[in-house]
Amino acid sequence: MTIASIQGVVKRYGAHLVLDYIDLDIYEGEIIGLLGPNGAGKTTLIQTLTGITSFERGKIEIFGQSKNPFSNQNKERIGLVTQGITVFEELTAKENLQFFAGVYGLRGEEKKKRVEEALEFVGLGDKGNKTPNKFSGGMKRRLNIACALTHRPKLLIMDEPTVGIDPQSRNYILEAVKKLRENGTTILYTTHYMEEVQAIASRVVIMDQGQIIKQGTVDELIQMVQHEEKVKIDVTDSDKVPVNELENIAGVKKVVVSGNQITIISAFDSGNLDRIITLVKEHAGVLGIQADKPNLEDVFLTLTGKELRDKEEA
Amino acid sequence: MRVLSTIKFTALRMIRNYIVLILLLVVPIILITFFSFILSGVVTENGVPYINENAMIMVLVFQLFGGSIVMYLIYHDLFTENKMRMYALPFNQTMYAFSIMLCGALYSILLGILLMVYSQFVLGVIWKNWFWMIYIISLMAILSIIVCLIFTFSVKNYKIAERLSELYGVGFVVLAGLFFPLPRNAIFDFLGSYGNPLTLSMGAIRDMSLTNTSSAWFQANILLGVIAILFMVMLLLGRRRIG
Repeated sequence: MTIASIQGVVKRYGAHLVLDYIDLDIYEGEIIGLLGPNGAGKTTLIQTLTGITSFERGKIEIFGQSKNPFSNQNKERIGLVTQGITVFEELTAKENLQFFAGVYGLRGEEKKKRVEEALEFVGLGDKGNKTPNKFSGGMKRRLNIACALTHRPKLLIMDEPTVGIDPQSRNYILEAVKKLRENGTTILYTTHYMEEVQAIASRVVIMDQGQIIKQGTVDELIQMVQHEEKVKIDVTDSDKVPVNELENIAGVKKVVVSGNQITIISAFDSGNLDRIITLVKEHAGVLGIQADKPNLEDVFLTLTGKELRDKEEA
Repeated sequence: MRVLSTIKFTALRMIRNYIVLILLLVVPIILITFFSFILSGVVTENGVPYINENAMIMVLVFQLFGGSIVMYLIYHDLFTENKMRMYALPFNQTMYAFSIMLCGALYSILLGILLMVYSQFVLGVIWKNWFWMIYIISLMAILSIIVCLIFTFSVKNYKIAERLSELYGVGFVVLAGLFFPLPRNAIFDFLGSYGNPLTLSMGAIRDMSLTNTSSAWFQANILLGVIAILFMVMLLLGRRRIG
């Protein structure tokens, strides 16, 4: 079942085209990883999908409504986790959640229960009476997520929810996202960390310069760019590596010896790994083997000719 | 009316903003107390203890700054990155801004009343007509909020809006001649009388205590008229930025 559908959406800021005829369908129960570098248009796409910003062309349908897709009735079924930490510093964690729960129409015991539940879910059950200024960056991020959960949204939109936090909090958040999906929440997760998308997404949408340039499962996308396999073998004696014999094995394209490591590049799915290892073992001794597979970073590089993240940032 | 559920939290946020509380309550209490000691026994030409006049001026002066908390909350919630979350919520953002305004006005009035209570019951200041005083405080509180919001809506840089709001407060205190005497000419005379909310409110309270009711109402109504006009301006500017 389609939860949201974006068709031919165009958005400009002045002369700059931010969304360039975007088409995207979001299906119930999936986690879409919206991947793209900074400035790709991910946040603008989210703002358009939630009705925060207008668009000049195209059509958006949410929960089957295309006439008034941003009605309060629809907003009640959507949760938004913003990129920045948008909690109230003057209020305690519990009061923050009570504020949002109240706006979503929850009252009395039900509200109390949902607030406790959301705090527990993000691991802040014992921190409810503390104000966010006493929280670490990771805890603030988790509170930021909890604010979007009290009303149990059908569609949860998360805009780079793990920016600038420690690995432990990041893992916590990723596990929480998986749990939400198990509970039936559909999730649109934007990030420029490909490891996150690889870990949680059931479908990946790659954006660049306001366009969706490719979409599919992680495996489908990787297969698209996988033309060769790379095996790195650490050897005990690199002088004895039988380079010519290795190059004669079917499928092997290239053999490079560098220090005590040899790199063998073969055609994709050539099935020659066993033969290569046996040969190297016989002559030079094997200390370790490493098989490099392309990842989403390589997919992105192949599709756009640029890195997903700046080198320093990575 | 889901906005109603937010009012409690807006009030909490205002109360927990300690800088505003210090500026609008603690500082005037200290000043009123200080002046009550040095002006003890001094009376005006009408025979009224000078501390009464001084307390009235202090209560009204600090109302000029009452809008700062409202402008901060509206800016924080609807103009910074919080805007994204607030606009994704199923409620009317304009009504939410109005609820903050309303809370801010009540908070400012309440602080004014606390000053009155303190000065009467601790320092012995006599407020002849409490209702009239509260009415004038209310007008000053609402005017300050509207002026601050006009600044917030009309300039892009919030820091400039903040400075302008301070200029509004300090400027009218100076123009009322409370710091030093101003030159006598038509412009300064106007800005020190009918063109100044502080002198209008002071005049309205003085006239009412002297039972010069018509003059008191006239000055209060000028304030009310200014509020009405500026409210329309604020609505127009606000609709452009919030709506």
